[in-house]
Amino acid sequence: MISEKFKKTILNELNLDDFDIQDDTTADQVPGWDSLNHINVILAVEKAFDVHFKGIEVLKCKNIGELQKLVNTKLDQK
Amino acid sequence: MPFNIDFSKVLQLFTYQEGDPLLFSTSFFIFFFFTLLLFYRLFAYKKNLRIFTLIIFSLFFYYKAAGEYFLILVVMTVANYYAGQILGNLKEGTGKRRFIFVLTLVVNLGLLGYFKYTNFFIRIINDISSGHIDALDIFLPIGISFYTFKGLSYVIDIYMRTFQPVKSFRDFSLYMFFFADLLIGPIDRAADMLPQIQSDINVPKENIGRGTYLIMSGLFKKIVIADFIGLNFVDRIFGDPTRYTGVENLLASYAYTLQLYCDFSGYTDMAIGVALLLGFNIMDNFNAPFKATSITDFWRRWHISLSSWLLDYLFAPLQMKLRNLRIYGNAIALFITFVAIGFWHGSNWTFIFFGFLHGLYMTASIFLKKPKTKIYNKLKLTNTKILKFSQGVITFHLVVFSFIFFRAFSIQSGWDVVNQIFSFFKGVVFMQFVDAYPMIIILMVIGYVLHFLPEKLEKWTENFVVRMPIVIQALLLTAMILLVIQFKFAGLQPNIYFKF
Repeated sequence: MISEKFKKTILNELNLDDFDIQDDTTADQVPGWDSLNHINVILAVEKAFDVHFKGIEVLKCKNIGELQKLVNTKLDQK
Repeated sequence: MPFNIDFSKVLQLFTYQEGDPLLFSTSFFIFFFFTLLLFYRLFAYKKNLRIFTLIIFSLFFYYKAAGEYFLILVVMTVANYYAGQILGNLKEGTGKRRFIFVLTLVVNLGLLGYFKYTNFFIRIINDISSGHIDALDIFLPIGISFYTFKGLSYVIDIYMRTFQPVKSFRDFSLYMFFFADLLIGPIDRAADMLPQIQSDINVPKENIGRGTYLIMSGLFKKIVIADFIGLNFVDRIFGDPTRYTGVENLLASYAYTLQLYCDFSGYTDMAIGVALLLGFNIMDNFNAPFKATSITDFWRRWHISLSSWLLDYLFAPLQMKLRNLRIYGNAIALFITFVAIGFWHGSNWTFIFFGFLHGLYMTASIFLKKPKTKIYNKLKLTNTKILKFSQGVITFHLVVFSFIFFRAFSIQSGWDVVNQIFSFFKGVVFMQFVDAYPMIIILMVIGYVLHFLPEKLEKWTENFVVRMPIVIQALLLTAMILLVIQFKFAGLQPNIYFKF
């Protein structure tokens, strides 16, 4: 489940007013989330939740739902 | 009169002949392919037999291209299959798993490096140390750059746990051996191909039509356009650019850009067409690349299977590693990726320079993005046709400039072409050139006009052919083959991408 804070962080970073993000939404479906901007989104998420991802953990994510899960796992480990 | 059959010639058909692979555009291929289709249809509902027929044909196809070195492909296939099995079974995060993964990378890249780059490094060592290490007599197995990447993507995906190892060695072998994309790609991914291999055969009439259309379009691009302008024009100018005027060098640069596109995308069209007739959808590799309005856009349209491979397996990990450097991290990752794209093409400084140029274009575009957007907004140019057109023209010329070095024998020779264009243009020669070589100009115009036609029109033509009765399609294909034979008098040119 995509949390409100998580969604807001992404939309803020991409300067979007609103966009429907579901678990199975992929990065390339979100306007502005291209391969170059990807890094800014990841850094924004890391900062907002005060977590640090390993590169391989992010590369494994197939969709935004999996990135949310990764954030949750990191928060649980805190 | 009794028939005198020269059995040694018949034998040659079935044995490896140096420099004479079974190109899709040869009559021998057509003969073998139709025989294959016959058996393939016969075994349509016997999965095992059908797949083994394809495996055996593919191995024969590769043996005809690489001789005894087809064993390299077999070794890589066995190694990657078992690596995949082991990596799939081992627990995540263990040292053993990491070790097996690194070992597999070393085996794949080591073999590629040995066959492709050993002599290049020997030359560098000789240049640095003024030494005299003799070059080794190394045969470059055709297609090794392509199937190494196919194998690597499979192993990396399993290591990342984004793909499950395939159980059947038979199915994995067909993924690695499949003759349609074996020699010059597209670099297909296991995730796309294996499900197709495992499912039942399905060749709807639409696929037959599309396949025939693509084979025709590929033959036209490869033989009528690419081979003809290459042999009769581009080779001469690039052979000794200083002997020709700037206008001829400029035309040769445009001609080579078209030749490379028609050669490579023509062969890809045939590969996709041949695969469709066998019931496989393989990856698309080109999407009207010269319509690009930026270099980033160009790489989304040119050699898509290679650029997306490097984007996924080189750029993305590098970018992630360097993410704290933000825009600079992106720039470094992009630059490394494009130099790698250049180096992938071959062991020559000209290819590295080609990659370096694209790395430079891409990094510059990152830093110029914001100021450019500001200026366009200020001048109210954003989203205007005139802006798109200018961007298209500039992008095309940046690409042509990089292809000059891609084609030249040395970087110096590439600069000779550029120097001639800027310091010895002699515009008046153009009319003489048109008079002397009308066919070259006509083919260049046809090639570029066809390329720039609206996508809708191309789709319409394709659908028009698809809807025709199969008999008419067969007649059209025969007509195309006859046209191609007319153009083939100069001898068949091997594909440019075979070298890579």
